Amino acid sequence: MILSKGDNFKESFIVTDDVYNGFIHVFGDRNPLHTDEQFAIGKGFSGKVMHGNILNGFLSYFVGECLPSKDVIIHGQEIKFPNPVYMNDRLAFEAVVSEISEAVGVAIIKFKFRNIFGKIVAKGEIQIGML
Amino acid sequence: MERIELLKSINDVFIDVLDNEDIQLTEKTSATDVEDWDSLNHIQLIVAIEKKFKIRFKSDEIRSWQNVGEMMDSIETKL
Repeated sequence: MILSKGDNFKESFIVTDDVYNGFIHVFGDRNPLHTDEQFAIGKGFSGKVMHGNILNGFLSYFVGECLPSKDVIIHGQEIKFPNPVYMNDRLAFEAVVSEISEAVGVAIIKFKFRNIFGKIVAKGEIQIGML
Repeated sequence: MERIELLKSINDVFIDVLDNEDIQLTEKTSATDVEDWDSLNHIQLIVAIEKKFKIRFKSDEIRSWQNVGEMMDSIETKL
């Protein structure tokens, strides 16, 4: 098993123009909350709210590229978005292995994304299988 | 925990993981008797059972199980 309970990881991500535009280009979600500054402000936000699922892209990168082995697969994940993410937000990502099932080669990793004010903008857990 | 109670708890895990309310396990039930109890779902079932009973299995014991009853035997030794 390449992971042990308590292993922790840190990464940093930025929701850049490229990431935001790439997401819209690929998936087509142009809901005004994400694309219309005035609409988003009218709903009580400080500006266009970045798609929460952009953070799932960062999670995919984390699992696929940042773990000590490439022999991994995501079995499932849960994510909540307690606070909004805005354009060019720098996000601190923290992850810790919370459970290991040696018998079936599975690790549960809990994670949080925080903005520069320390607010949690996303949190959840991923179940990873070792191939 | 009584054997019948244990079987019901495991049955609840199967219903949840396999998303099938019709599952009615017996001790003789094996993977071939339950729709969708394939190798990938088997992993999810083991993880869910470990979580529910706060136990850990060894890979050898999992491989040795022929049916739900043998799974229950393993669980009982850890409770």
